[in-house]
Amino acid sequence: MSRWKRVAAWLVAAMAASGAALGAAVIYFGWYDVSATGPHTVPVHALLDVALTRSVKVRSADIDVPELDSPARIQRGDGLFRAHCVQCHGAPGQAPEPYALGMNPAPASLVGSARERPAAEMFWITRHGIKMTGMPAWQYRLTDEQIWDVVAFMRVLPTLSPEQYRDLPQAEPRASEVGAIPGATEGRAEAPSEAPRVGDAMAGRDALQQYLCVTCHAIPGVPGARHHVGPSLAGMADRSRIAGVLPNTPDNMRQWLMDPQQIKPGSAMPALGLREQDARDIAAFLQTLSNVD
Amino acid sequence: MLLGAATLTILAACGDERAALTPDLTAAALPERADAVRGRQWISDYGCLACHAVPTVRGPASSVGPPLGNVGRQAYLTGLLPNTPDNLVRWLMDPPAINPRTSMPNVGLSQAEAEDIAAFLLSLPASPEPS
Repeated sequence: MSRWKRVAAWLVAAMAASGAALGAAVIYFGWYDVSATGPHTVPVHALLDVALTRSVKVRSADIDVPELDSPARIQRGDGLFRAHCVQCHGAPGQAPEPYALGMNPAPASLVGSARERPAAEMFWITRHGIKMTGMPAWQYRLTDEQIWDVVAFMRVLPTLSPEQYRDLPQAEPRASEVGAIPGATEGRAEAPSEAPRVGDAMAGRDALQQYLCVTCHAIPGVPGARHHVGPSLAGMADRSRIAGVLPNTPDNMRQWLMDPQQIKPGSAMPALGLREQDARDIAAFLQTLSNVD
Repeated sequence: MLLGAATLTILAACGDERAALTPDLTAAALPERADAVRGRQWISDYGCLACHAVPTVRGPASSVGPPLGNVGRQAYLTGLLPNTPDNLVRWLMDPPAINPRTSMPNVGLSQAEAEDIAAFLLSLPASPEPS
């Protein structure tokens, strides 16, 4: 072996060893933040996202999609969706339950998923779940037929307005009927609140994660916030209006965030139960999103 | 690592494309007469640029209304109406009829003109970054 080859081999081995040592140190010394309040770093998020996309795509490639158009199937799927999905994923105009708001990764908006993912992938994800995301496998809870019913319903979900979703006829009335969102604002133990302070953009950026803003909006610089269920928030500071109806001032933004339905009834954006300080902080963060230098 | 993730992202975007679960959300669902090239011209003629930034249509930047580069991926119109091609045409023709409080005026588009504009907006490629 020539001299330069030996040097190169040693160099590669040394780099691999130091890389492994660094990785082991990150893990052993607890440097990586596993809390649900600290988002993944952008590269880690991108890597996990690609792993998920590829894994689902490969594993769902051979699934045959049955007929999904029958109204009876869609109605059965609607019932199952309201019984098992809406609690974490929400629905048009309806917020997820408080426990789901704190999940990381955030449960996807299924309106967005249905607009982007093919039927076989939706079936596969529902049936098998996704490790370490909080998405459970429904395989042992629902039959395949029932899972296809849910998929059939999710197929029409993006074509329903919040009002149409709310008014869909249900097979049998249930106690947990939709309408006002229980738990979103009421019945929540109010955290001991400090005196209100002016909005803090950095705190707002953290709070974004906790109210699932990232599942519906594209937000520059926020990992995973690349969805178009609601409008992109890029350049929000430059916009003259909020939701097309309200002058874009920080205080109006605070009010909008706390109760979109009061400002624009029928909006697909639900009330997510923001505390006043969180709304101030998020409004302050949105003020930093400018395309104008 | 960033580079690796970026490469993987590009790789992941390739490969076989299956249709999304919800059908009929593309310009293909519009009547055949709808023409994206004419639609782009209507956007200039009707002064849409006074309020909106529109990719490929040049004019002074304005952010009174939202930029229109991602209309095809948007799930709702004005936050109220599911974004289907039919609804997009309805919205373009008479925004206040759908959202009485909207700042967007009825500029008097005909059905055919609105279909052309819808065809143009739905033909815009999705931008990978938030815009």
